Amino acid sequence: MSDLLLDAQQLVKRFGPRTAVDGVSFTLRRGEAVGLLGPNGAGKTTTISMLSGLLLPDGGEVRLGGQPITGDTDPRKRLLGLVPQELALYEELTARDNLEFFGALYDLAGAALATAAESALKFVGLAERRGDKVKTFSGGMKRRLNLAVALLHDPQLLLLDEPTVGVDPQSRNAIFDNVEELRRRGKTILYTTHYMEEVERLCDRVIIMDHGRIVADDTLSGLKQRRTSADRVFCELVEVRDGSWLAGLEGIAGISRAELAGTRLTLHVTDLHGGLGRALEHLRRVDVVVASVESQSPSLEDIFLELTGRSLRDG
Amino acid sequence: MRQLLALIRLDLKLFLCDRRALIMLFIVPIGLASFMGSVFSNSGGKSSVGGGMGILLVDQDVSAVSRGVVDAFANDPTFRVTVTNEAAARDMVLNGKRPLAVVLPAGFGADALPGLFDTNRKPVITLLHDPSRSMERSMVEGMLVPKVIQAVAQNGLSADLGRDFIRRGLTNLDRATQVGARDQQLYRSMMERADEFLATRTNRSLFGSAKGPTTGSPAKEFNLPLPFVTKAEALVKNTKSEYNGYAHAFAGMSLQFVLMSLLESSVGLLRERESGMFRRLRAAPLSRGTLLLAKGLSYAIIGLLSLGGCFAFAMVVFGVRINGSWPGFILCLVLTSLMSAALGLALAALGRTPAGTRGIGIAVVLLLLMVGGAWVPTFILPRWLQSAALVTPTRWALDSLDAMTWRGLGFDAALAPAGVMLGFIALFATITWLRFRWTAE
Repeated sequence: MSDLLLDAQQLVKRFGPRTAVDGVSFTLRRGEAVGLLGPNGAGKTTTISMLSGLLLPDGGEVRLGGQPITGDTDPRKRLLGLVPQELALYEELTARDNLEFFGALYDLAGAALATAAESALKFVGLAERRGDKVKTFSGGMKRRLNLAVALLHDPQLLLLDEPTVGVDPQSRNAIFDNVEELRRRGKTILYTTHYMEEVERLCDRVIIMDHGRIVADDTLSGLKQRRTSADRVFCELVEVRDGSWLAGLEGIAGISRAELAGTRLTLHVTDLHGGLGRALEHLRRVDVVVASVESQSPSLEDIFLELTGRSLRDG
Repeated sequence: MRQLLALIRLDLKLFLCDRRALIMLFIVPIGLASFMGSVFSNSGGKSSVGGGMGILLVDQDVSAVSRGVVDAFANDPTFRVTVTNEAAARDMVLNGKRPLAVVLPAGFGADALPGLFDTNRKPVITLLHDPSRSMERSMVEGMLVPKVIQAVAQNGLSADLGRDFIRRGLTNLDRATQVGARDQQLYRSMMERADEFLATRTNRSLFGSAKGPTTGSPAKEFNLPLPFVTKAEALVKNTKSEYNGYAHAFAGMSLQFVLMSLLESSVGLLRERESGMFRRLRAAPLSRGTLLLAKGLSYAIIGLLSLGGCFAFAMVVFGVRINGSWPGFILCLVLTSLMSAALGLALAALGRTPAGTRGIGIAVVLLLLMVGGAWVPTFILPRWLQSAALVTPTRWALDSLDAMTWRGLGFDAALAPAGVMLGFIALFATITWLRFRWTAE
C-alpha cells in the first residue's frame, strides 16, 4: 500500500472572472495531520470542495489512493470523511437519527450502522444525548455531532473545514482532544482554519494559502527556521535614569533594533547567542542593571505576516 | 435618528438588490390583477362570460320555431353552441366535455304556441346536464324562456293568431276571479283596442322581425303561461349512485393544498442547500439523480398521503364514493401526487433561491388552480383560456379524479389523463435536471 493517500496537482477553480484557486498542488501521506491555513477568501473551502468531489476543478487533478475521483458515485469517496464548515445536521431529528441517516448513505445498515452510530456518539461525548433532538443542543455539541457524522463510515482521510467556528472554549478543547485521538488512531487529517494556535497544537505540517495560491508548505519547525524575522528578547531593567545608552545597543553586531518603554527594553536579535551576550555586556558597562531576561521566537502569525504581508484576520 | 435612517436604508438596499422579490412585489400582482380583470370585467358592454359557455343543442324538430331557438342561442355571445344529435350530446356531457345539452323534441314548434293556452299540450325541453355544473344549468334554464318566446313570437304569432289569443285571453279574464273589477275593465279595453289594430293586419306577422330579446312578462296579474316545460336529466355513468358535490370539492381543495405544501417543501430543499447540507450529502458516494429522485418520491408520497387522507375523510363523512374504477382512481391519485412533486422540484430549479421559489411558485400554483377549474367554473374564463386549460396539469388531474369518483367512468377513462400527467412529470423532471443548481448563488 502506497504511503501517499491524496495527491492534488495544479488545481484551478474559477467563479466567473474570479480565480478562487490558482494552481494549488500538495500531497497528504497516510497518518499525517496537515493544517490548511489562510484568511477568509484564501481558497481553503474551495480546495476542500475539490478534494472531496463536490466541485469539479477547472484545471488539475485530485488522486485519492492513487486514482482520480470519477463521478459522484465513485466508491473512493468512502475514503473521505468531510466535516463541513456549516452545521449540516437535521435539527428536528435526534442525534442518533441523524447518524443513522448519514450512515445509510455509506451503505451502513442494521447492526453495523447501530454500532457505528453508538461508537461515534461515544467518541464525541454525546452518548447520553443520543435520543435528544439536535435543536436542543448547544453550539459546541452540534459541532461535535457534526464531527461524529464524518466518522461513521471509518474514513481514512478526514477533511475538517474550520470545525471550531463559533464554539465555546470547553467544546473547542473537546474537539481538539477528538482530533488528537484520531491522529493517534492513524487517520490522515487535513485541518482548515484561520486560528494559528489550532494548527500549532494539532498539525505537524502547515500549508499556507493566500489569494488562491500556496505560499508555504512545510513543517512547523521548517517554517520557523526559514524565517527572516528576528527573535525578540525582553529585558526588565531595575532603574532607567536616561536613555543615552540606547543608541549604543543598535550598533552591536547581532542586534537589529532596540526599543525602550518605561523599564522594559525590547531587543530584536538576529544572533541570539553572540548578539545577546554583547548587548548584556554593553548594559553592564553603562551601569544599567537587568532584573530579568525573556526571549520569544517568532510565532506562526509572524511567519504568516511575513509571507503574505497581511494578518490572518484581515480576511 | 441617524441610526434609524441607516437601518431603513439598509433594508431598502437589500430589498432592491433582490430582483426576484421586486418581480414578486410589482410584476406578479400587476399580472394577476390584469388577468383577473380581463376575466371578470364587463368593459365595452360585452358579456362577462368572456369566452362563451360551450353548450350542445339537439334539434329533433327542425321547424322554424326550433331553428329560431337554436339561432337565438347561437347569436348570443354568452354561449358557444354546437348542434349535434342526442347520442353524441349524451356522450359529451357524460364525459365532462360539455356541461349541458338542450334537447328540443320533435313537434316542439307545433306544440309551443298552443302550449301558451293549453297546459296539457306543452312540449318538453330536456336539459341533459353534468351534475357538477349546476350553475351552468340554471343559467341556460333561465335563458331558455326569452329565447323560446322570441322564436315562437317571430315564427308563429301572426295577426290572426294574435286575435285568437286575445279572444282566449278575454275568455280567461272572465274566469279570473282574483283580478279586480277595475283591472278587468282596463285590460278588456286594451285588448279590444289591440284586436281592432290586428284586424287591420290580417295575414301578417304580428311582431315583424323583432330585434333583441323579449323582456318582462306581458301581464303580471294575468300570468301568461310559458309555452314549454323543461325536464332536467343529470347524466352519470353509474345510475345506482347520485352525484356527490363533495367529490369534486375535495379533489380541487386537496390538490390545492398538496401543491401549496409541496411548494413549501421545495423552498425547504433550497434552504437545505443554503445550509451546507448538500455539501455533506454529496460528499457521500451518491449521485445527483438519486438525490433528486429521492426528494421527488418523498414529496410524492407526502402528496399521496394527503390526497388519500382527504378522500378517505370525504368517503366516511360525506359519502363520496368511487363510482368508477378503483384501479383507475389509485392510478390518478399516484400520478397527481407525482406530477405535483415534479412541479415542486421544477419550481425549486427555476426559482433558485428560497424567496424566489416561493414567489414564482405561488403565482404559478394559483394560476394553475384557477385555470384548471379548481376555484371557478371554467366557462366564465375567456375562450383562449379555456383552451389553455387543456395544457395545465391541474385540469387533467381534476378531470381524472372526477371521472373516477362521481362520474363513474371506467379504467379506460383514466388512461388519457394518466398519459398527459406522465408527460407533465417528464417535462418537470427534465427542467429540474437541467436547471437545478447544487450550490447556492
